[in-house]
Amino acid sequence: MTGSVDSSSTTPAAGEASVALNDVCLSFGDRPVLNRVTCSFPTGAVSVLMGGSGTGKSTTLRVIAGLVAPNSGSVRVAGREIVGLREFELATTREQLGMLFQNGALLDSMTVFDNIALPLRERTDYSEEKIRSEVHQRIEAVGLADVDDLLPGELSGGMLKRVALARAIVLDPAILLCDEPFSGLDPPNVLRIEALLVRLSKQLGLTVIITSHHVESSRRMGEHVTLLFPEESLSGTTAELDALGDPRVAEFLGAAPV
Amino acid sequence: MMRERVTHLGAVAANRIEAVGSMTRFGGLILAAVARPPMRLNSLVREIYDTGVLSLAIILTSGLAVGMVLGLQGYNTLVRFGAESSLGAVVGLTLIRELGPVLTGLLVTGRAGSAATAEIGAMVATEQMDGLRLMSIDPIHFVIMPKAIALMIVMPLLSALFIVLSIAGGYLVGVQLLGLDGGAYLSSLENNVSFADDIVGSLLKSWIFGALVGLIATYRGYMAARNAAGVSRATTSTVVTASVCILLFDYVITALWGV
Repeated sequence: MTGSVDSSSTTPAAGEASVALNDVCLSFGDRPVLNRVTCSFPTGAVSVLMGGSGTGKSTTLRVIAGLVAPNSGSVRVAGREIVGLREFELATTREQLGMLFQNGALLDSMTVFDNIALPLRERTDYSEEKIRSEVHQRIEAVGLADVDDLLPGELSGGMLKRVALARAIVLDPAILLCDEPFSGLDPPNVLRIEALLVRLSKQLGLTVIITSHHVESSRRMGEHVTLLFPEESLSGTTAELDALGDPRVAEFLGAAPV
Repeated sequence: MMRERVTHLGAVAANRIEAVGSMTRFGGLILAAVARPPMRLNSLVREIYDTGVLSLAIILTSGLAVGMVLGLQGYNTLVRFGAESSLGAVVGLTLIRELGPVLTGLLVTGRAGSAATAEIGAMVATEQMDGLRLMSIDPIHFVIMPKAIALMIVMPLLSALFIVLSIAGGYLVGVQLLGLDGGAYLSSLENNVSFADDIVGSLLKSWIFGALVGLIATYRGYMAARNAAGVSRATTSTVVTASVCILLFDYVITALWGV
């Protein structure tokens, strides 16, 4: 499948996964982080990437985003092989990507409005009026109001994630990467973010890839789950994974709900 | 044992050479960013305010104090030879040629250089730089370049202010406190300071120190490990490396160009 699409293409071929990793290895110094990881994430679905601490979930997202280059293997994003591309060559692929970082990664010195407007100001030639309207649409989409002039330091954890999400979707990406979107949130906020991601995926046709430790959330929202183990990865729906009868899956996902 | 030591020494030397190469390449990226639109004028003005205007208090206070000490020490020494009327020239030349640029460089390193490293390092640790990269915004163009250029611009200006305040401090002690003739102080200063050799050379020295501090501070921040300890180490490293570089380059510039 991965060899059938031209490497300069920026849209996946019909039936092709939005993101596909094949035999990806990555080490930081002498420490191996990703060991022959092979997995793919279907277009337009919410996929959850799970695994124990240190199995490389966040690193996998960073590899998909082109923020870290693997030592070997193939990474196809939106139909394009990104391994070996230089920073400026990644720009066309990154136009299709949005990323919600674990701590938001909002610029401390900028207000909420300016943070969300930043990609529009830098990457488009929209007028300030159009930018204002786009930003307010996204703020509304993530369920916030009257936050324009606040600084990231003045936001609660849940608000910060939602503002970061608004920035991640402001350029209408095809693929949304979310690194631990539920970490540090209370149960109501987990449910709120969870509903928001599912709604955005359905409304905008987004391919959403989430790394998470939250088993309940993954069962509720994950149409497709990938479990990363040190030696291999397993993918499927939660029902398919439960049906494998693999003790590692049972240990990680717990007993299947009756 | 001997072989291990030599191997270790070789590895340390190779690391140092690699670091210098990496820093030089980083400097090249900053220069390339300067030539690339947009100009980032708003960021530059904000950085000039942060590094320059907010450093004024420490520069002016230190300048006045250094000038007063120089005035006192200079007067006590010169009076032994009956040459106290040359106090203005001694204070002025010492400050313009040497102490002004060097002390300003060290003070700016401690205040603005370390702050720049800490801010950039924190942005790296909290994935703000990665966030910019993901939006296809070059962090060197957006964050690093305005900080480095601002340090290059403000250093000569702060050094000039430091020197003026120091000369005033020397005047205060020599003339107002110790009774030296004010006209003698100012005329010895005017007769012995050359604009082309002393003042232009002094500003050139400050500008080079500004470029050094800008490069070292931004590089250390950008390369900081992604945790609090890494940011702390990078900040310390900026202060130590930039201070030593200022003193070494001061000698080299003086030896080569007599400034």
